[in-house]
Amino acid sequence: MSPMPSLAFGLALTALSLPAVAQEGSALSPRVVNEAAVPAVMAKAVDDFIIPGYRNLSEKTAALTKTSTDLCETPSTASKEKAQAAFSELVQAWSTVEIIRLGPALEQNRFERFLFYPDRKSTGLKQVQAILAKRDETATDVASLKGKSVAAQGLGALEYVLYGNGSEVLAGKEGDFRCRYVMAISQNLDAIANEFLTEWQKPDGIKAAWKKPGPGNPEFRDSKEAATELLGIFVHGVEMVKDQRLKPFYAGTVDGVPDKGHPKSAIYWRSQNTMPSIAANIAGLKTLFDAADMQSLLPEDSRSVAGSADFVFKSVIGISQNIDGPIADAIADDKSRAKLDFLTLNTADLLDRLNKDFGGAIGLGAGFSFADGD
Amino acid sequence: MGATTDLIDRRNFIKMAGAAWVATLGARGAFALERADAVFASAFMAPDGRYGVATLTEAGEIVERTVLPARAHGMAHSAASKRMVAFARRPGTYAMILSTDGSAAPVVIAAAEGRHFYGHGCFSADGRLLYATENDFAANRGMIGIYDGSKHFARVGEFPTYGIGPHDMTLSADGRMLAIANGGIETHPDFGRTKLNLDHMEPSLTLVDTETGALVQKHTLPADLSRLSTRHVDIGPKGEIWFACQYEGARDDLPPLVGHFSHGEDLAFMALPESTTEALANYVGAIAVNRNEGLIGLTSPKGGIAVTLDARSGVVLRQEHVTDAAGVAAADHGFAVSSYDGRFRDHENPVAWDQHIIRLARS
Repeated sequence: MSPMPSLAFGLALTALSLPAVAQEGSALSPRVVNEAAVPAVMAKAVDDFIIPGYRNLSEKTAALTKTSTDLCETPSTASKEKAQAAFSELVQAWSTVEIIRLGPALEQNRFERFLFYPDRKSTGLKQVQAILAKRDETATDVASLKGKSVAAQGLGALEYVLYGNGSEVLAGKEGDFRCRYVMAISQNLDAIANEFLTEWQKPDGIKAAWKKPGPGNPEFRDSKEAATELLGIFVHGVEMVKDQRLKPFYAGTVDGVPDKGHPKSAIYWRSQNTMPSIAANIAGLKTLFDAADMQSLLPEDSRSVAGSADFVFKSVIGISQNIDGPIADAIADDKSRAKLDFLTLNTADLLDRLNKDFGGAIGLGAGFSFADGD
Repeated sequence: MGATTDLIDRRNFIKMAGAAWVATLGARGAFALERADAVFASAFMAPDGRYGVATLTEAGEIVERTVLPARAHGMAHSAASKRMVAFARRPGTYAMILSTDGSAAPVVIAAAEGRHFYGHGCFSADGRLLYATENDFAANRGMIGIYDGSKHFARVGEFPTYGIGPHDMTLSADGRMLAIANGGIETHPDFGRTKLNLDHMEPSLTLVDTETGALVQKHTLPADLSRLSTRHVDIGPKGEIWFACQYEGARDDLPPLVGHFSHGEDLAFMALPESTTEALANYVGAIAVNRNEGLIGLTSPKGGIAVTLDARSGVVLRQEHVTDAAGVAAADHGFAVSSYDGRFRDHENPVAWDQHIIRLARS
């Protein structure tokens, strides 16, 4: 929440006006979870989004491993650029599926090992710089790298090694150590991506649990629990973009005064993947929304809720894709900053449409609680 | 940065705006809580998305309500100092203290630098001090913030909770110890409410000396229950501490969800019938004790159920379906139960009740 709306709210201390009857005059059908529709939606989410998403991720990590091997064998500006291009493609693939922050992603620190962000105290950066300065050979072997800090073995570390200070050595023989570190991180990411895919493809694993909610299921005892988990992907995904990806580098314009911004807090700022990554996060959510046929959970008289969510999805994706170049330049430029303001507002709107409107319409208590620990 | 920036923004907002805002309430505040018919209090979300706290009658009618700067969660009451407090939901940055007899203006406190509230706390026996569960998130350690009501609730000190991810906390019957449910789950405001350590949780229950902050007793859970998050506590008829849990393991496991312990004694889990454990969906959202009647009340929003146990035998006396069951508190007889969709005992209110109810009057 930004301070200003709270301030206005806090000072406007009028008694809350509560309507006398909750659903007064409402002719809408009852808001209950459409139990019959849930298993098909869950199955489509797994088969048509999650598994293909992780398969794509593992293809991109394999491609990166290949380009980084080529780079180490025949270093040149061209092969360095190929490795960087493979990195950016991997960021796209990861940003599409990182919204699935549950199940195998929560086990064995897989999520944090793949992407450690935010790195508030630059602990990751310092570790990576120390590895490079000391030529720590244990970082160039995937087995020993895996045992190092999560901050030294994922996308953040790789971005610094490929784009940060001193990365120009990668184009020549003097970049040998640095290149072997690139290769080890690539292999590490490839291994994690394959674990995701393996875990989700196991016939008796999480896939089966997602497809058949019911007694004896290790994930969901009924369709309502399953629908709650799925809705949570959307709500938590948009919250992540809003609070953990946009706000760290740009807090918006308040009372006509734009935040001066913190471009070096932006995710992937070195490789200029900040906005492409945010666009892929939201595009991933929209793809899941469509692939799982989320709108089939809506009662007939509330189908328009999906239409309006779709409209805001498209608008957020469109504007994210329309902010180019270094993120510092975007914050400093009036036109780009206006786009960032629009994006900030629309992300908040998207959150409300999914959490309150959609969640309420499919019978999940208007997104009031996910019963997640309170 | 990220959510931490957000946390700081909100903290600054509370510091800057809190005073001005509270001034508008006047000495008697927006509440006239001395009204004898105000028996319960609970936080809520209004249909327009605003948040507040309300007081309610024994029957569950709203007596009065006031707005809060952000979503609140747990509350506490002191009959001795005639105050009640609503804590922001985690990772929250404010708590609002209201005078229940209108004798003092409301006070809004902001979480200290590097700390956020978890949404629960309690008053000292004399009602002067307020204790809040807090997160020292850089060090991932649970803390108890101590606020002095005689100094406008200035933060006068802190104790460790001797665990990670503390949630609920209550005062022991003799007033000399704080009983804390350390849920064992690591969170950090940078990652919102994401649970960061589900495969190596460290749940525990601790007793901490209110005078010295020393650890009096600590119960960790056995390895096979490492995913059993101990989250809420209340004091039983004989001063024993009752606790309720939320299970983060496989959905088809049947872990124990409720138990009690006393100073100098081991944990004792209640052996609930399988059907009750299943009905509670491995997730107890709130627990309350009716000390006069020797009853334990449990609610589960996941299971959509309210359960009443006999405190002595653990026998299930009542199991009632309540969709989106939220809070539970001791009533004249049995328990008052609320729901996310606005029910509070016999009344429907167009609000979403938050997870907890406190009882203001003696039952």
